[in-house]
Amino acid sequence: MTTRASALPYGVGRIGRGAVALMVLLLLVAAVGVIAYVHQFRQGLIVTGLRDWGTLGGAPWGVYIAFDVYFVGVSFAGITVAALIRLLNLQHLRPISRMAELLTIVSLMLAGVTILADLGQPLRGIVNLFRYARPQSPFFGTFSLVISGYLFASLVYFYLAGRRDAYLMAQQPSPLRGFYRLWAAGYRDTPAQRRRHERVSFWLALGIIPLLITAHSTLGLVFGLMSGRPGWFSALQAPGFVVMAGLSGIGHIAVLAAIYRRFLPGGERIDRLVFRWLGMFLLILGLTYVYFTLMELLTTGYAGTHKEQELARLLLLGRYAPYFWVAMGALALAIALNAWQAFTGRWSIALVVASGVLVNITAIGKRLLIVTPSLTHGALLPYEPGAYVPTWVEVAIILGLMAFGALAILLFGKVFPIIELAPETERERKEALA
Amino acid sequence: MLHPDYRHTRYVLHWGYNLTNAGGNKLCWITYPRQWLEAKANGARAVVIDPRLHGVGPHTDDWLPVRPGSDLALALALCHEVISQGAIDVEYLTRYTNAPFLVGENGRFVRAEGKELVWDTATGAAAPFDQPGVRPALEGSFVVGGARVRPAFQVLKEHLSRYSAEWAADICGVPATAIRRLAADLVENARIGATTVVDGVAVPYRPVAIHTYHMAQQELGFQTVRAMLILMMLLGAVGAVGGQQIDFTWTIHANFAKWDTIQVKDPPYNVWLESSKYFPLNSNNSAVVAMVLQDPQRWGVETLPEVMIVHMTNPVLAFGSQKDIIDGFKRIPFIAVIDAWLSKTADLLADVVLPAATLEKYEGPSSAGDLYLDAVAVRLPIMEPLGESRGEIDIYLDLCEKLGLLFGTDGYLARINQALNLKDAYRLPLDRRPAVRDIFDRWARSQGLDEGIAYFERNGVWVKGKVPPTSRYGYVTSPPFGGVRHRLYGESLLRLREEMRAKGADEVFWRDYTPLPEWRPPTMERSPAQYDLYLVTFKLIEFKQARGTQLPLVAELAPRQRLWMNPATAQARGIREGDEVWVESHNAVTGETKRIKVRVTLTQAIRPDTVGLPHHYGETARHPWTVGQGAAAAELLFTGPGYVANTADQSFHTKVRVFKA
Amino acid sequence: MPRYAMTIDLSRCMGCRACMEACKVENATPEAHFWMYVFRFEEGEYPNTRLSYLPRPCQHCDNAPCVKVCPVGARYKREDGFVLTDFQRCIGCRYCEVACPYGVNYFHWKEPRKAQYVDWGQDQGTRQRAAGQSPPWRKPEHEQRHGSERRLTVGAVHVKGVMGKCTFCVQRVEKGLEPACVANCPVRVFEFGDLDDPESPVSRRLKQSPHFRLLEEVGTQPRVFYLNGAPPSAETRQFYPVKGGKGA
Repeated sequence: MTTRASALPYGVGRIGRGAVALMVLLLLVAAVGVIAYVHQFRQGLIVTGLRDWGTLGGAPWGVYIAFDVYFVGVSFAGITVAALIRLLNLQHLRPISRMAELLTIVSLMLAGVTILADLGQPLRGIVNLFRYARPQSPFFGTFSLVISGYLFASLVYFYLAGRRDAYLMAQQPSPLRGFYRLWAAGYRDTPAQRRRHERVSFWLALGIIPLLITAHSTLGLVFGLMSGRPGWFSALQAPGFVVMAGLSGIGHIAVLAAIYRRFLPGGERIDRLVFRWLGMFLLILGLTYVYFTLMELLTTGYAGTHKEQELARLLLLGRYAPYFWVAMGALALAIALNAWQAFTGRWSIALVVASGVLVNITAIGKRLLIVTPSLTHGALLPYEPGAYVPTWVEVAIILGLMAFGALAILLFGKVFPIIELAPETERERKEALA
Repeated sequence: MLHPDYRHTRYVLHWGYNLTNAGGNKLCWITYPRQWLEAKANGARAVVIDPRLHGVGPHTDDWLPVRPGSDLALALALCHEVISQGAIDVEYLTRYTNAPFLVGENGRFVRAEGKELVWDTATGAAAPFDQPGVRPALEGSFVVGGARVRPAFQVLKEHLSRYSAEWAADICGVPATAIRRLAADLVENARIGATTVVDGVAVPYRPVAIHTYHMAQQELGFQTVRAMLILMMLLGAVGAVGGQQIDFTWTIHANFAKWDTIQVKDPPYNVWLESSKYFPLNSNNSAVVAMVLQDPQRWGVETLPEVMIVHMTNPVLAFGSQKDIIDGFKRIPFIAVIDAWLSKTADLLADVVLPAATLEKYEGPSSAGDLYLDAVAVRLPIMEPLGESRGEIDIYLDLCEKLGLLFGTDGYLARINQALNLKDAYRLPLDRRPAVRDIFDRWARSQGLDEGIAYFERNGVWVKGKVPPTSRYGYVTSPPFGGVRHRLYGESLLRLREEMRAKGADEVFWRDYTPLPEWRPPTMERSPAQYDLYLVTFKLIEFKQARGTQLPLVAELAPRQRLWMNPATAQARGIREGDEVWVESHNAVTGETKRIKVRVTLTQAIRPDTVGLPHHYGETARHPWTVGQGAAAAELLFTGPGYVANTADQSFHTKVRVFKA
Repeated sequence: MPRYAMTIDLSRCMGCRACMEACKVENATPEAHFWMYVFRFEEGEYPNTRLSYLPRPCQHCDNAPCVKVCPVGARYKREDGFVLTDFQRCIGCRYCEVACPYGVNYFHWKEPRKAQYVDWGQDQGTRQRAAGQSPPWRKPEHEQRHGSERRLTVGAVHVKGVMGKCTFCVQRVEKGLEPACVANCPVRVFEFGDLDDPESPVSRRLKQSPHFRLLEEVGTQPRVFYLNGAPPSAETRQFYPVKGGKGA
């Protein structure tokens, strides 16, 4: 609550009843997740539905790894959007730039924590993953590159990109003034500084793009290089991961943007064009992904090994078919929605948001379908087929992590403008204070 | 137990005996897998004859999946085929068996002055069988003393004439061509007439043999094993190099001498029905005892036991017809069980359990020979007995002492001196109680080991030396085959049959006492058509006996009872792998039915008309690993007429029906 | 430096699974962990059924996928060929397990001493019996560092949350003994020795008998050679497979 005459922009510092209720709910979900994790930490991973494949007929990787991949995937979009804005000067997308970057950061942190949640020795993991990091392992790319490199670079970018707004926010008195000054760290918004700021951001954005492609590709390589795992071993895993990452991330941004547009004071700065652009991007990525999937299935169906064909059959017709068709159906629907809007030229925010939700259903479904079936049914030696059903612990931890993420984004928006302060707003402000 | 001379054999029939499990009552049987592999490396081949392609499957060349209970028919057909191919060892049959003995119309041998007669082809007249220079005929029909007589072999040949491969094919459920091919392979490998030299001794060489054990435990089992032996006798393989070994020596076994003198007595009988008109040949089946205890009057038994000691055995699970065992034994006023675990028998029936040690005791001496090396082993304690358990020798010394039977010239200690054949210098004093180690020490010294038992404590096994061929092969033992004529024709069985009939025994008891094996359909075939599957039982290698199921490390490998079933059979009943089913058995004589519930496992290695249940399971009380393991095979089996052999031996066959639970 | 390998003669195996139990006793593996496993296979349809057995230890591959993917180098290959797991460094990510095509890895999903067949801690009767005794799964001589690399790799020390697998009984080989499975097989199916020594049992057996390696086409270059048999085909299936534990 502010007692000043003029409020901080974009709802910063204002926490209404609705927000409180939401925060309480998220905290509860997060708390259950914490309880679940403590339980798992003490008892061991036995409390999950994960088990050894082979004689035990389980899946040693499941929900955690699937969601780790998913979270890393979601993180793709943020920094891509931000980078594209810089590199291609897409000014009309600037309002979603910061929320996209924030999404990346939060998502990467969730990914990192999910990995730790999956480890049998998480405390060791924190130390050993850095101390003994081996670049020969695709996991290195996933964890060390992603967390150390990608997250770090995103944080730096985020910080730098926010300095100007921090400086502007510090201009007016508020309880958070000290925080803003700290962030601004000497930034004065002089033309020289502004030019340097733009240049640094540009080059950082340029440098992040290869980093992010590498990170997502190595994530795909975690699976794609496994010559002993039918269903995983494929050159298309890495490209597929990159494309799906884009889909899920853009989808998230669409949802976030719609929420802020609707509920944030000043949110109408996020105009329809933003959604049109997001929708187009979703359409292109979606079609690409369908193409990849078709090529994969065609290759397997025509000339795959016995096991690969068996797995494909399981996916298309067998016990995993419901999940596959729901996931691909969601993608098909999302493509259709965006294609229709592109064709008619009439873009509806609701439809774009719907397609954003749908592609995330696809993403989650596909991640699970990549991880589990090959483990339960893809053994090259004649073991019995297996089964995997996640327990409440796994579900609670994932939901808890998502709650933490949502909470983080929500809280951030309460202490810092989630939308970049536009020059007009700044001028108005100066006039008001004069 | 019939087993091959593995070191020299070339063709083996694994008939119902699972070599990989290598069970048996002699230590050397643990070496059978190794012996077979060596034989295989020397070019030997084998056929599995079993409703199930059991464990040794990968190491054999063919599988003849016979119908359960039809082994006798197969054996008879093989004999028939061998004879019709003219492949018989005339020399062996004439010199070492009663094949040339003349048989009268009444089925009895023709005797003069107490000696059996043969037809001397040299003189064209009958002569005593052991007359010097006699050349007995095996075939033909002659007249002696105005009556028609035939050599026993001729009787056999005519008797077998209807048991062709075609006849057997239907009964056994295997193609006639397979039976004929098997016979041809046997004949080819038997190499009748060949000799070979082993360790400088020339011995007939007949490298074919049957490996079988417990084949007698089916309704027609006694005659089945006889028929198998007759087959080997026809080929001259008994006691030959590479051929059929019966046991480890060719001295006349005490049982053998008794056969001619077995009496069929009038009641009252003892609980074993020893010398009874029901089972003159008697293998002492505890299930039959239980049957008798349930209705002693019907069996002519008056004196009933008051005390029973069950020693290291588990009748409630192991002996067939669990229901009868429990019901029968409950009537014994006092039962003590000596065992190393709380078996189901102990739990249900014991008034007192005397815990026994397993590895923590002296036990023996046991033969550790494998036919080629003579060796002796003694079980040595690896530690002090656990808990309150004790070695059984200690237990019995205690019991005898308390009963006043330990000391004195006819006491337990005196009997030990006798049984262990202790030399004078080492005999146990009869007035004080020895330590168990001391008993073994005296025994070892009596055997000529100066260090006594310390020899075993240091070396484990005492290898006494090679078994010379003259001890191994009946042909060249001294005298050959211990000086007896092998009984191709079982005249004593005919005598017993006539006496049983005279004493008024039911046909069901004497019908299988025939001098030559005769086929009849097993009684279980009279069960109604809905009982369309045969139940066979077998041992799992993981357990050996039921006590293994409570050892978590091995129980983990086979934690639950399973019904083994052919996939086609299961599919026809809408049953899938892991499904729970009811198995219901039927007693064709009494109409009684029994049921268990069990889960199914599918395998192509079993006949479609057969299902199999491992022994071992049966839920011993309270043990965390055995609770819920599943039902015992013994819950489905029966005892009594139709479900025991003519020797009282238990049959482990019954007809069942299986349907989804 | 010896180049260790193992031969497995499929023409001798009786499928008795004594090697599985010997391994278990030597390495005190918890319930359902079978560092050595023996497949019992059947093929074909009645009456043309064929049975076969296939022991499956870790293959200690020269091009081991598990070594390549370990993010922290806890799974490593020694110069003499042993592929071992440093259970002090292992973080329990299970990447080695998903990378291995043979299924030889067993993860400690829970505290291993809670899965040692008998409840050593809680049951009063057991406590009485075992009073003062070390439980059978505890082997102090396994708790030392092994090899010239001085790492904690040996069997009977099981830690929650890390991976375990067959070690070719490195603790026995270092003492000049054979691995437990080799030593205990009643029909001498296994041989273990130095490929570079032409007189070693493995070299001699390889010269005498036709042999193959499992999943050769995947490129792992195993150090386990199967003699006198054939690899499983698409039609091969297990009968009566072992899952471990109390089962269902």
